[in-house]
Amino acid sequence: MQYQNTRTRQRSLSSESLERVARLASGSAVVIFSSSSCCMCHAVKRLFSELGVSPTVYELDQDPNGKGMERALSKLLGNSPVIPVVFIGGELIGSMDRVMASHISGTLVPLLKKAGALWL
Amino acid sequence: MASQGIGGTGLTDSGPSSHSHHNHNMPYAVYRGINPASTSFINQESSGFDFGELEEAFVLQGFKISNDEAKASLYAAAAATGKPAATLEMFPSWPMRFQQTPREKSKSREESTDSGSLSSRVQPHLEPESPISRKASSDHQQNTQEQQQQLQNMASNNPRTGGLQTELAASKSNSEKKKGAASTSERVLDPKTLRRLAQNREAAKKSRIRKKAYVQQLETSRMRLSQLEQELQRASSQGIFLGGGTTAGSNISSGAAIFDMEYSRWLDDDQRHMSELRTALQAHLSDGDLRLIVDGYIAHYDEIFCLKGVAAKSDVFHLITGMWTTPAERCFLWMGGFRPSELIKMLIGQLDPLTEQQVVGIYSLQQSSQQAEDALSQGLEQLQQSLIDTIATASLHDGMHHMALALGKLSNLEGFVRQADNLRQQTLHQLHRILTVRQAARCFLVIGEYYGRLRALSSLWLSRPRETLIADDNSCQ
Repeated sequence: MQYQNTRTRQRSLSSESLERVARLASGSAVVIFSSSSCCMCHAVKRLFSELGVSPTVYELDQDPNGKGMERALSKLLGNSPVIPVVFIGGELIGSMDRVMASHISGTLVPLLKKAGALWL
Repeated sequence: MASQGIGGTGLTDSGPSSHSHHNHNMPYAVYRGINPASTSFINQESSGFDFGELEEAFVLQGFKISNDEAKASLYAAAAATGKPAATLEMFPSWPMRFQQTPREKSKSREESTDSGSLSSRVQPHLEPESPISRKASSDHQQNTQEQQQQLQNMASNNPRTGGLQTELAASKSNSEKKKGAASTSERVLDPKTLRRLAQNREAAKKSRIRKKAYVQQLETSRMRLSQLEQELQRASSQGIFLGGGTTAGSNISSGAAIFDMEYSRWLDDDQRHMSELRTALQAHLSDGDLRLIVDGYIAHYDEIFCLKGVAAKSDVFHLITGMWTTPAERCFLWMGGFRPSELIKMLIGQLDPLTEQQVVGIYSLQQSSQQAEDALSQGLEQLQQSLIDTIATASLHDGMHHMALALGKLSNLEGFVRQADNLRQQTLHQLHRILTVRQAARCFLVIGEYYGRLRALSSLWLSRPRETLIADDNSCQ
């Protein structure tokens, strides 16, 4: 075939995006996929800074592949709105509600320590 | 749902009046003027009952009368100077008072006014009664003068008030027993007192007129506001607000009305759960049985968070402004509900005895909820700032575009309220995890009682006795 049909093209793009997401997610102890105009993203960033963690933030609205990555993340999480999405130690934690549930139940801090994002 | 279309004060309560609704129905009742404790004052104020008269009575009696005694005095006055039969009227209003006036034509008008004002009592008390009473009184000034005349004619043998005279004489002895009687039998009044009382009456009349004008103003601006809202909705971009707009003319959206109704039902359930907890604790049930009840209470809370989630989709403003709560709760509202760290702080002293591990757990729960609250609050602040910037930069030609942007940003509010509710829910669940079954049962009982008291506080505040009803320093002139 001279050209890939749209479907296949999209699929390959989305798997590309997913790969990129996975690659970026395991690149740092704490990774947040965010958007510069999203206020909930601002809230989750504040939470981590209050805990003394400096996460690696990827602003998807400023990334050329941002749309694709957002779509990949929404497939991963299965709902919308998607961002912010948090990975700790390469493992998917989830959106804001999962992060907060984890913090309240006391599991967030041990995870952060395990990933090396927090000392003591 | 509770709104009658007037004013739209924060008293959005709903549900039928019944004793089980005692706590949270009070604001509703007060708003409707049914609450007997406040009926006398509210109705008197609007039906034109003259507090100049009331003060007169107090002055004549020469002692300070408290709220309850005041009511007793009104009842006594009505009984003593009103109908010959000593039936105590439930709602003494000015027509009762004026039954002693000898004017024939006004008497028949008063009868109808009496029933009229009684029926209008089940409606919001503001407008309906005053016009009726005003019409009946024909000229309030005339009545004032008439009262004064009455006072001065007491001693004279006015044949038309002859019968009244004997009643008054009889009531004088009654007044000895019922110390609050506002009879005008002893009137050694100096002109200074008379003048002051007259001034009070005038001032009261003035503030009534001012109040009427203010309410009128509110009504017209409310209509204008709903017109503007309709225009804005028509002009805004599609799909941003699906069903959340206000229905024409009413103050409350359908989503909010539905939620209010469900919340009121939830409060009834809450009472039931609490009495179950109470009896279970007193009966010293086994841990297994107690666990069932405690789990049931947790599920009860899960239910309200679910309902709030649904309501947030249709009317987030209703939730976030706390229109579904009582005034006192609204005062301490955080993002559409209670502040979890405050709840923990309140509980800390009441959960003893706790093991050391539990104490650590509770304190760390308080800290993490505090951190989460701060994060959410900062996020909301950023949203507000962004919204302000958008609205501020809206210029003449691209105003609509900016408004559409602003509407888009507003839709993020729902996310914040949901996260806040999520935080509240997680906090309760964590409490359940930290505590033993018996401790958890006591803990939830404490929580339920605390919020019950806060709601009751709102009702008490709204129906509190106010001493200076006569415009004294309350006027802004």
